[in-house]
Amino acid sequence: MEISLAAQHLVKRYDAVVALLDGNLDVQSGEVLALVGANGSGKSTLSKIITGVVAPDEGQLLLDGQKVRFSSPQAARKNGIVEVYQELSLVPDMTVAENIWLAHEPLAWSKIVRNREIRARTGDLLDLFAGTTQPSLRPDALVSTLPPDEKQIVEILKVLSLQPKIMILDEATASLDSRQVNRLFELIEQRKAQGMAVVFISHRMEEIFRVADRVTVLRSGNTVGTAPLDQISQQELVSMMIETEVVSRYIKQHEEAKSSPVRLSIEQMRTPVLRGVSLSLREGELLGLGGLRGQGQTDILLALFGAMPFEGKVTLSGRSVHFTHPRQAIREGIAFVPGDRGSEGLLPVRSILENLQLPSWRRYGLLLRLTKARKDATTIARRLNLVMESLNAPVTSLSGGNAQKVVLGKWLLREPKVLLLDDPTKGVDVGTKGEFYKLLSELREAGTSIILYSSEDEELLGLCDRVIVLHDGQVQAELADTTLTRSELVAASMGTAHGGAA
Amino acid sequence: MIRIPIANTIQLQRIALRQSYLFALLLLIIAVAVNAALQPDFFRPGVLSDNLQSFLPLMLLAAGQTIVIIGGGVDLSVGAIVSLVDVVVVRAMGNSPSASQVLLAIALGLASGVLAGVVNGICVAYLRFQPIVTTFASSFVFSGTALLVMSSPGGNVPPSLVDAYQANLLGLPVVLWVIAAVLVLWNFLRSTRYGRYLYAVGGQSMSAYVTGVPVSLVRLSTYMLSGLMAALTAVALVMSTNTGDPLIGAPMTLESIVAVVLGGTRLRGGQGGVAGSLIGVIILSLILNIISFANVPTWWQTLVNALIVLLALTGPGIVALVRRKLS
Repeated sequence: MEISLAAQHLVKRYDAVVALLDGNLDVQSGEVLALVGANGSGKSTLSKIITGVVAPDEGQLLLDGQKVRFSSPQAARKNGIVEVYQELSLVPDMTVAENIWLAHEPLAWSKIVRNREIRARTGDLLDLFAGTTQPSLRPDALVSTLPPDEKQIVEILKVLSLQPKIMILDEATASLDSRQVNRLFELIEQRKAQGMAVVFISHRMEEIFRVADRVTVLRSGNTVGTAPLDQISQQELVSMMIETEVVSRYIKQHEEAKSSPVRLSIEQMRTPVLRGVSLSLREGELLGLGGLRGQGQTDILLALFGAMPFEGKVTLSGRSVHFTHPRQAIREGIAFVPGDRGSEGLLPVRSILENLQLPSWRRYGLLLRLTKARKDATTIARRLNLVMESLNAPVTSLSGGNAQKVVLGKWLLREPKVLLLDDPTKGVDVGTKGEFYKLLSELREAGTSIILYSSEDEELLGLCDRVIVLHDGQVQAELADTTLTRSELVAASMGTAHGGAA
Repeated sequence: MIRIPIANTIQLQRIALRQSYLFALLLLIIAVAVNAALQPDFFRPGVLSDNLQSFLPLMLLAAGQTIVIIGGGVDLSVGAIVSLVDVVVVRAMGNSPSASQVLLAIALGLASGVLAGVVNGICVAYLRFQPIVTTFASSFVFSGTALLVMSSPGGNVPPSLVDAYQANLLGLPVVLWVIAAVLVLWNFLRSTRYGRYLYAVGGQSMSAYVTGVPVSLVRLSTYMLSGLMAALTAVALVMSTNTGDPLIGAPMTLESIVAVVLGGTRLRGGQGGVAGSLIGVIILSLILNIISFANVPTWWQTLVNALIVLLALTGPGIVALVRRKLS
């Protein structure tokens, strides 16, 4: 089953945002191609185009030299291209066997599903991971009762049951332990020898070098190069992922914050994703949380805000605290600006005034003193430089950037001690971003401590006084001053201790 | 040592989810016991057969409702479809029809039931409307049309049809054969690929979609099946009541949902089965019997129905809340 797939000059835009500018890759039977790139480099978009989840705006896919276009995941699947999802494709209330064979069940002449055959073949598939899983992982086990690693294994087996010609693994090793990863790599080697092609997307440098034959590097939506992995070092790979070492600072470092007292410290914070994270935050400091998406950055913010249960110790202004509800955190002067402003940050149909005043109504008495509320809101709106019709206009009438300013602005009235920002400028235009940064700078001067998670490395490098890089739920590196560089950030995100292309 | 209990809990959970009829069976035994105590001749074949005849329409309706609910929806228009088909069949038969006219009238009734289901299904599956709102709204269209077809109870039904409903076949009542047929067909359906699709769509439609299950088509099919079953319900009602009534289905919507819930099918979909719902119908009907024996106003029946649904809806949430507070 010889097969080859080539993606040429793929382009994908989402409104004004270009997710992929010039995506290229080619992969053949009997090889493992690693696809790497920093945050937002277009890896996921490229793999989604190949698997038919999104349609490209420009460019072409060649399958065995023939031009193809996949309108749906099923179309790609018919051609033998299948992606291993991260727990996205399992039905919890169905058994392992039913899930693996869903939509391609072997049928008897009477159209009845051959249950015995399904169970037997599922057993064979599960044997591939025998010894690395609990004995309770059986064909008849309900998926909802499985731990995350076993669910991931079921996802992998589900794809293998389709006998794919090209298998795409997008961060499929994230929830597996080392023995399971070893077994998976053995399986990949085996299938590779039988002619399967594999595209391996991972954020673990060590795994890439172990399992892949070649690597294709994406950088800000462009494929910048492909190289055999035995001819490239980790440092060279990191430097390929970085455009330029020059960092443009959006706002100056806050020098006083380096010696100011500690306002918040976390010791050994644990959540399902975080595996013991400790950090401290000084007064007036802007601390960045870096690393690839989903390494637990948001967990830290939610846990501090009392919106997610956690284990560990949190000290705020010298007092030990453990918030179990956002109300408690707000009372202690913590504010949270969520990334998904549509569903978490705003009341969509209500007015700008109401949105700005939502956390502060209690200051205006039982019978609300609306004139005063309006005056305060006007002050804030002016400070935020809100472009709006009037305070009474619905918040949905604002542009994305201005709406996000409202999400931030509603906390300004309360003068927060600690501000938590969860990817706050996602989908915000450049001009508004600039104003937003200025606002952060002002807040910081006034002594507010800020923790910023951003999916854009540029922002972390251009805004923060210090950046903590998370990898696999742990602190991989702490970057400040001379180490706050692009290559250090990317290398740490990929799990290497010291990157550094000079 | 630890692993054995784990395996057992999983097995228990599996049984609880799959064979969710256990609770229903328990309730059934209680209801039968109370009924038998109140009505000493409860177990006489004639009485049993009479009871079955009165249960059958709701059983057919609940079977259709079960399929919609397993598929992740709900059909609040089943009662209205029953009313519509009921009067369509009676109107189409006219006075003293021939055998072929009767068959034609029934075929017309079944077709209108399926058509009503198609309307619901297209709105929910393809136009992505909320099932509850869609079927609630469409129920007014169907019941309005029913009143248009026949504004007040009336019409004649040939005695042969009534006789057929009460007849015996091979020594057992015809209604019992119908119930058996429903069970056999359901077991076939759930053993086919369609059955897997149904549970997958109701369990996690996004997962089903990315796995290649034709989610919208499955959703549409559940409403079509529900429409068909509602039409069959109407035919059974025509045969047993001997007349047409444009309001006959109105109370049956809530009852069908109650029966599904009593039968252990979870209202959020992806789990359960028709057999449980049939038991649910028996339990519900027996409970309503008990209420009528108790000589209290009939609105008690509606209250009990509503309480059962409310309990089923809030039960899991309350249990989860209590568990959270305790931990």
